[in-house]
Amino acid sequence: MNETAAPPEVLRVAIVGAGPAGCYTAGFLRKRWPQAAITVFDRHDAPYGLIRYGVAPDHLGTKAIAKQFDRLFARDGVTFAGNTDIGTDVSLDQLRADNDVVVLATGLWADRVIETFHTAPGTGAAAPLAGVYGSGRLTRLINGHPSESVEGLTIGRRTVIVGNGNVAADLVRLMLTPADVLASHGVAADVIHALTAGPLEHIDVVGRSPVGAAKFDVAMIRELGRLADVRFTSDAAPDAGAPDAGAPDAGAPDAAAPDAADADGKAAAIRELVAGSPEAAGRTVAFHFGWTPDRVTGDGRVSAVTFTATGAAGGAGTAGTAAGSASLELPADSVCTAVGFTETDGAHISRASVASPRADPDRGRLDDGLYAVGWFRRGPVGTIPANRADARSVADAIIADLEASFIPTPTSLT
Amino acid sequence: MKFVILYGTESGNAETVADDLVDELGTDNEVESVDMTDASAETLSPDALLLVVCSTHGDGGLPASAVPFAELLDTERPDLTGIRYAMFGLGDSSYETYSRGSERIDERLSALGATRVGEYGRHDASDGSLPNDAALEWARNLVGSLDEAQAVAR
Ligand SMILES: Cc1cc2nc3c(=O)[nH]c(=O)nc-3n(C[C@H](O)[C@H](O)[C@H](O)COP(=O)(O)OP(=O)(O)OC[C@H]3O[C@@H](n4cnc5c(N)ncnc54)[C@H](O)[C@@H]3O)c2cc1C
Ligand SMILES: Cc1cc2nc3c(=O)[nH]c(=O)nc-3n(C[C@H](O)[C@H](O)[C@H](O)COP(=O)(O)O)c2cc1C
Repeated sequence: MNETAAPPEVLRVAIVGAGPAGCYTAGFLRKRWPQAAITVFDRHDAPYGLIRYGVAPDHLGTKAIAKQFDRLFARDGVTFAGNTDIGTDVSLDQLRADNDVVVLATGLWADRVIETFHTAPGTGAAAPLAGVYGSGRLTRLINGHPSESVEGLTIGRRTVIVGNGNVAADLVRLMLTPADVLASHGVAADVIHALTAGPLEHIDVVGRSPVGAAKFDVAMIRELGRLADVRFTSDAAPDAGAPDAGAPDAGAPDAAAPDAADADGKAAAIRELVAGSPEAAGRTVAFHFGWTPDRVTGDGRVSAVTFTATGAAGGAGTAGTAAGSASLELPADSVCTAVGFTETDGAHISRASVASPRADPDRGRLDDGLYAVGWFRRGPVGTIPANRADARSVADAIIADLEASFIPTPTSLT
Repeated sequence: MKFVILYGTESGNAETVADDLVDELGTDNEVESVDMTDASAETLSPDALLLVVCSTHGDGGLPASAVPFAELLDTERPDLTGIRYAMFGLGDSSYETYSRGSERIDERLSALGATRVGEYGRHDASDGSLPNDAALEWARNLVGSLDEAQAVAR
């Protein structure tokens, strides 16, 4: 009993990262501790992380979630300290010395690269060919990120988008959205010009998985159906994704198999998109499922992209194609990779470097008084609401740990 | 009057609506705000008017925090006769299933005998606005219409 320390006069909490994970955490801690001094730091001068610089500008409902967080700073007494990079401007050790609790919510937003697309084979040197872009750069540009420039960006008439997640779907939609609509959502004129100058006539969207295991949400596919003057096609087998179809690898563990209803839903959404699109249209979008990226070719600038069949389990359109036995070559004047996110090279703060032997990553605990939340804790998957659930459980762990270390008095923390 | 605000949320908007309703109604009334996740059958009382604020997620599904409450209603099937409630649904009309999550709660409450009063309020996030102002206006109208109804009854 006597081991416990008296609570500090004012509990000091620092949260690193003003994306959804950091802001939701600040909100839950504020509810429990109305008097605590809570500061949210961000390297950018504007808060909200990928809600500001990732979420597509035409998804106003999702963007609006950030307005919830305005209340934290305007009304609930949480301080925002922008333009402060923890690790450069202030060391993490210093921050920990100044605070009772530090929460890392720094996200993971660097583009995952496809080695042969973005770097010269074997050397790791910079892009071998012009015209190959990462989705992170494109989505930051579209969202007016201060340190991105349109320099050297041209999308052209035929582009290949590699990946079949929601970010790929965002890119398809935004690239086929009329310039005036993009402008009405606040996209800068030079960015609109780079996206629409081609103008685009054809987009190939190529994913590694079969249609049923594609990563996009059904609502994102349905939304594409509202684009005017676009013909959609797909190389997925007509019955792909239906229960029992396209499941040749019976020996595979169940956990790896996508949920059957979900798979069926995705395949059906693609089928409906294709069936509902006009036979003749000025622009076409072709979905290709079950193809693994191989290489980009061209003379200085990309002119074609090659894929090989993912193989039996992945099924290039039809199931049962042996891995590598078929290839797909697509002409292109630009290529966009949307294959996920990763830790920034040379990041000052990495989980591995700060986790102590006392870490309990499941509860978000990295060390005494040091916690992790959001994409930084869980990896770069999941939507904004998933970060709220995560923030709630990590905030609960922080509260439990801290309150257990203090002598409980009725007014000590609140 | 006594109010219980019961909110179901996934990205937090409905919770901020509940906070605002507490501020608005709390000066003159007894108000309690409860996350559906923490609600039990006892949360619902004939003495209080229940204000249900619920969003929609997935493809017309319930928001995460409403799921345990819906399951509770389905398994315990409490008799809600005598309970009065009003509904405010949050959604985005760019989805075909606009505001369906709140309707799933509404259907359950009325099937168990509770009575819905007032206008069915809704907020559409497709224009990027937050639901808070719309919800406050809905609540003011609701309380106003109840006061009138009581005055007439007397
Ligand atoms: C292109 C794209 C589109 C998306 N679209 C949607 C969508 O439509 N709907 C949806 O629900 N989800 C969407 N997501 C997912 C969603 O953005 C993430 O789930 C969420 O943003 C992750 O939250 P986070 O707080 O962990 O990280 P982030 O949002 O990345 O926030 C991290 C913050 O930390 C700051 N930071 C990093 N390092 C430091 C440092 N050393 N010092 C100070 N500050 C630092 C960053 O500047 C940033 O503000 C999208 C993601 C991407 C990439
Ligand atoms: C991933 C996601 C899915 C959604 N699905 C629907 C839907 O199917 N129908 C609908 O009307 N609104 C849908 N919405 C809109 C939300 O209901 C709306 O943004 C609401 O304000 C969220 O409230 P909450 O923060 O309390 O959960 C969705 C929003 C998101 C982010």
